[in-house]
Order: sequence, then C-alpha cells, then structure tokens
Amino acid sequence: MSVIAIVALMVIVMLAGGFYVGRARAIGAVNGNTVRLHSLPNYHGYYVAIWTGLPAFLLLAAYGIFGGQAVERLTFSELQREASALNARLEERLLSDAEYEEFRGAALQLRERVNAIGDDMQRLRSARGEERDPARLEQLQQEQREALNSATAAEEAAIGRRAELVAAVGSEAEAAGASMRQLAGFELVQAPREQRQLFLSDAMQIANGALSSRESAELNAAARIVARYQDRIRYFVAVLALVFAAGGLLRTRSQVIPDFRARNHVERLITGLLLLSSVLAILTTVGIVFSLLFESIRFFSTVPVSEFLFGLQWSPQIALRADQVGQSGAFGAVPLFAGTALITLIAMAVAVPIGLLSAIYLSEYAGPRFRATAKPVLEILAGIPTVVYGFFALLTVGPAIRGLFTWLGFDDVVTQSALSAGLVMGVMIIPFISSLSDDVINSVPQTLRDGSYAMGATRSETITRVVMPAALPGIVGAILLAVSRAVGETMIVVMAAGQGANLTANPLESVTTITVQIVMLLTGDQEFDSPKTLSAFALGLVLFVITLIMNVIALRVVQRYREKYD
Amino acid sequence: MPDNQSHILDQNAGFGETEPPIKVAARDVCVAYDGKQALNHVSIDIPDRSVTAFIGPSGCGKSTFLRCLNRMNDTIEGARVTGSLKIDGAEVNDKSIDPVVLRASVGMVFQKPNPFPKSIYDNVAYGPRIHGLALSRNDLDGIVESSLKKAGLWEEVADRLNDPGTSLSGGQQQRLVIARAIAINPEVILMDEPCSALDPIATAKIEELIDELRENYCIIIVTHSMQQAARVSQRTAFFHMGTLVEFGRTEDIFTNPRDPRTQDYITGRFG
Repeated sequence: MSVIAIVALMVIVMLAGGFYVGRARAIGAVNGNTVRLHSLPNYHGYYVAIWTGLPAFLLLAAYGIFGGQAVERLTFSELQREASALNARLEERLLSDAEYEEFRGAALQLRERVNAIGDDMQRLRSARGEERDPARLEQLQQEQREALNSATAAEEAAIGRRAELVAAVGSEAEAAGASMRQLAGFELVQAPREQRQLFLSDAMQIANGALSSRESAELNAAARIVARYQDRIRYFVAVLALVFAAGGLLRTRSQVIPDFRARNHVERLITGLLLLSSVLAILTTVGIVFSLLFESIRFFSTVPVSEFLFGLQWSPQIALRADQVGQSGAFGAVPLFAGTALITLIAMAVAVPIGLLSAIYLSEYAGPRFRATAKPVLEILAGIPTVVYGFFALLTVGPAIRGLFTWLGFDDVVTQSALSAGLVMGVMIIPFISSLSDDVINSVPQTLRDGSYAMGATRSETITRVVMPAALPGIVGAILLAVSRAVGETMIVVMAAGQGANLTANPLESVTTITVQIVMLLTGDQEFDSPKTLSAFALGLVLFVITLIMNVIALRVVQRYREKYD
Repeated sequence: MPDNQSHILDQNAGFGETEPPIKVAARDVCVAYDGKQALNHVSIDIPDRSVTAFIGPSGCGKSTFLRCLNRMNDTIEGARVTGSLKIDGAEVNDKSIDPVVLRASVGMVFQKPNPFPKSIYDNVAYGPRIHGLALSRNDLDGIVESSLKKAGLWEEVADRLNDPGTSLSGGQQQRLVIARAIAINPEVILMDEPCSALDPIATAKIEELIDELRENYCIIIVTHSMQQAARVSQRTAFFHMGTLVEFGRTEDIFTNPRDPRTQDYITGRFG
C-alpha cells in the first residue's frame, strides 16, 4: 500500500478519535451536566473532528491534483541544468554554421515578401471603381502562394539543418563520455514542445514501473530523477499531513470549554462547504469558457473574425501538399449558421404547436386519469437517447420523405435532408415544450379562471383570452429553452441531415450545423495547431454565445412571470 | 328539520308587502362534493334591490350556496347539486339553462382580487366582448366608462386605462373586478368575502360602493365580518354546518336572534 493511502487511513482514524475526544472533553468539562454547555456535546466532537481531518485532506487533495505537475517541473529544471553545457555548445555551433544562417535569412526575407504581397492584395480588394483589377489580384494571389511555398521550404530546411546539428552535438557528447543525465537533458530541451511532454510522461511511466511506449538509456536516466522527486514529495506530504492532523486535534481539543460556541463554528464550516461546491460548479463553467476562448483567439489569429462570421464558403480542408488546390481552406461559417437556423426552425415548427396544444389539453381539458398516464408517457419521449432518434430519422423518416417528394414530382430528393432531421428533432423537443408549458399553465391561479367563468366565458374563451396571456411569458421561456436545446442538438443532425455545408433555404437539401461540424473537425487524428482543428473551438464559442443569450432571455422572461403571481 | 325551514320561510314572508319582490328562490338545495354533504336542504327567498349577507363559521356552506347561484360548482369535479333554485322564476339547475347565459346575468366577485393580465380597459371590456354587447368601439368605450364610474374607480384610472390591471392597488383591483362584473349588466351580483384581502380604508370604499349598487342590483355577500354584515346588508342569513339556521332582517338577527346558535355566533361564543 502506498504511503499516501496509509496516511489517509491514519488521518481518518485520528478524525474519528478527534470526535470522541472533543465530545468526551465537553461532557467532562461540565461533569456530565450537558445543559450547561453552549453547544451539544456532538458539536464539540464535530468541531474537533473537522479541524483534525480537513487541513490534512486538503493537503492530500492538493498533492493529488498538483503532485504530478510538481514532479515534472522539478525534473525538467534539473535536466535543464544538467544540459546547460551541451546547450551552450549547440548555440555556438548554430551561430557559426553558415548553412543554417543562410536558410534562416532566406525564410525571413520570403515571409516579409508574403506579407508585402498580402498588403497589396488588401489595398486592391478595398479599391473602388477603375482601380479594381481582378486579373492583377489573381496574379498577386499566385505570387503570394509561390512565395509562401518557398518560405515554408526554407523554414523546413532551417529546422532540418538544426536537427542535424543537434544530433551531431549529441553524438559528440556521447563519444566524449557525457553522462546519460546530460544527454537526457539535452534531448528534452531541444525537443519540440509536444515531444517534450511525451518525453516527460514516458519518464513518469517508467518511474512508476509501467512499460513505456519507447525505452532508452536517456529515458531511464530521466525516470530515476522522476522517481527521486516523487519519493521526496510523497514523504514530505505524508509527514506534513500527519502534522496537520495531530496539530489540529491538539489545538482544537484545548479549545473545548463549556462556553465554547462549537455549534456556530460547525455551522459556519458547513456553509463554507456548500459555498465551495457551488463555486466549483461555477469555476468549471468559467474554465470551459476560457478554454474555448483561448483556442478561438488562436484560430482568429489565422482566420479573420469577419471572414469567419460572414464568409459564405465552408470547407475546412488543409492541404497535405503545399501546392494543392484550396490549400488554405475556407472558414466562412454562414452556411453552418444557416443550416442550424433551418433545422431549428423546422424543429420548432413541429414542436411548438404540438407541444403547446398538448399542454393545453393536458392542463385544461384532460381528466385526472388521462393526465396521470399521458404526462409520464410524453416525458418518456424526452428520455429516449438522441442516437435512437437519429436511427429513426435516418432509416424511417428520411426514406419516407424522399418517397413522398419523389412521388410529388421532385427530382433528386436526398435521404439525408434538413427536413427529416428537423422533423425528428421537433418530435424530440415536444415533451420539453409540453411539459414546461403544462407547468406554467397550471401555475396560472385558479382565481383567474374562476373570474373568467363567472363572467360567462366558455372554456376556450377562458383559455385563449385569460389563461394563455397569463402564461405567455412562461411559455416564451419554455420555447426559448427548447430552441437552445435544438441549436445544441448534434446526434440527430449528424445522422440525418448529411454533411454538405450548403447555403440553402431548401429543406430537402442536406445541410450541416455548427455542432455537426465540431464533431467532424475533432474526431479522428488531428493536429492541434492547424486552423482546421482550431475552427472547432471558434464554432463552439459561437454556439455557447448563442445558447447563453437564449437562456438568459428565457430565464429573464420566466423570472418576470414569477414575480407577478407568487 | 322541516319545522326549522317553515319557520325561516314564515319569518321571511313577514316583510312581503313593503319590501321589493323576491329575486332568488331556493327550495331544498343540497350540495355534495364527492359524496360528502356540504349543504343540506337550504330554502331561502332573497329579495331584489337589496343586500343580503351570508354569515357563519368557515365550512358552513355559505360560499357553496353562493356558487350554486351561478353554477360555478359545475367547474368543480365531483360536485352534485340537487333541489330547486329559481332566479326570476327560471330554474337555474335546469338542463336547458346554459351556464354561460346564466353567468351573464349573475356576476361574481371573489375573495382575492383577480384582474386578468390585461389592461384596465380590457379587463372591463372582457365581458361585453365575449357576449357581444358592444356594437362599436364607441359603445364599448361607453360601457367601460360607465362601469368604472359605477364602481367608483373612473377618477382614479381615467388617464391610465392602458396600464395593466395588476398595477393597481388591492382595493382598486377589487373595484376593477366589480366594474368588470357590472359591465355585462347582471341582475344579481355575488360577492364571496370581497374585502377579506383588503385594508380597512379599501374595505370602507367597497362597502360604500355596495351600498350604492344596492339601488339597481340584487347583491348577495358572503362575509366573515359581522360588523360588515351589519353595516352593508338589509337581510342576513346565518349558516351553520351546512344548514341555513336563521334568516331575517339584519337588525333582527343582530339584536334579537331566535336561534341559540345564531346568538352564540354573533356574540362570539364560537366561530
């Protein structure tokens, strides 16, 4: 068993002991006459127990979260120190290497040229009237592409030359009898960022006795350093945790006197615990937003915001070869926004009337027995996994729509269409709207209905003229919540709407949505610095903003409604 | 029980000559909710153009009887009404009577002010609109204005008819609801504890209004306040445990009750 686990067990034992010590001491302090205590004996027990266990467990939790990172940092800085002599030697070689300097200089010049051409193109694009010259623009584009290709080639040559020199320095050092730790450090420091991470995690694995994907003398040397730091930190934490527990126990034990307000302290700690839980949830949300935001900013440094938000072409392909056609990809997200809007619109056209009317029937007309069975059944609809809806759309609704429209004389109707995805999504959303609206309608006070009936209004007059207007804000809130659900829905659309990023208002064509594209962009092998992958984060950010705005409006509306009738 | 009833009817018949004609005549009205008896053989004659107060402890059946008069018990599931109940000689519980038509002539004001979530104007215009009483916009404006005037609310809201009805104060809301009831020109107005949610000043205004409305309508008011019954009504009926115990001139009931239960209730010995 690991040291940490043993320490955790010991702390638990001390915590339980602390409870009995605190309790017994409180009872003892008043000679068993517990009425004289400010707080019940148990509260004294809880108080001592909490201060025995809490700091120690917080420390252990911090170790669990940050321990690995600390070990990595320490290992890295130690290896860096070891490798400093070799790094210096490499720097010298790089400076004196004519070939490397030449490649770098060429790459810099070519980059500047690309930027200069880019400026020219910008000027030409924004020009008006006679100055407009599409042919010249075309030519510039061609030139820029060529310059860019040569620049990339020069950069790659420079990187290659550098790698050669690194290898040379490494093998010379090895021949000269440098230690494995020096070599490991050199390899680590010279490696690109992602490989550095890989190197360290391999070293960690080896140190923990697991088989690594690759093993080398350098890695083993690094692993020994890792193991050393791990042990040190582990024992340090173990001792500190025990000190915390014992210190807490002794300190709080001495506080237990009859007048001690243990209950208030315990209540405050419980409040703190509850606060912590809610803060944790909020922090998670903030973290998600920030991760989206930072990746999106990286994306927008390669693709301008205006092009992303207003561009009409979406084909996020990145070329495998530099001279491939359309190598830069197109990141105009308007077709995705339009596709999302189209499918949402179709879904709402299905869900709002059906959901609302069924809510009215359930709340105003249906007998209690019908209501008791119908409402749960309707809510089961909400519990069906969306994948199953996807099957239904793909295998049943899609072909049916194609059959119907072919019969009506339309040509080339596809199975995967916005219509089939929208219809099925609408069905999925019905229970959302009907259940929420039903609640809202039910919460319209009976006195309003009575008032209307007493005026001689019929049931339908009462519903359309009194109940609906009273429930309207809540219903609008329900619909907005349903819209944000529809906007965020993915599975049905992936399966049933196809993947073509068509900019169309025709529901019989296949379209694609924001969510589907995020899935497409992030599944499979990806490099996390290409615009293709990063665009997924920008899309996610847009999606987040849309649903956030919708939810805020919905909650506002619902809130205003509540104020009125409670 | 038969003795008791004849006694009530006799007493009632006593002021036949000088008093206005009988508007509502009930004979052996019984109400049961889900088989549980709430009202037992109530027989009563309520005169027109006067205020009749129903008093009695909670659960005595006074509101239940009130709701029989405009068939509001129909909206409650499991409610069963038997016996004969005539307004102007027409049987209320008759199958051929459409409750919608009946309720157009029997208005009702509830315990809690319940203005609809509409403007002040639309609240008052609600009844005339659903019954098609106004032929033109001018007509409707006239009905709204006269109803609000009759309810004593016109001066306070004339310049903000488009504000929501819920923006008024509690007492104003209750007068708005009365204006709404008057707008369809009913013959009988039922009031179910109309002041129980109001402060004394608003209550005084409503009572004043009830006193004015008495000139033109048959008003039946359920109240828990015996002072209110004494102030606004000409006749008082005391209900207890689902039966009508005593009915007569208000001053007689309060100064010289015949039944010991009435005596106990008005002197505050129970209830």
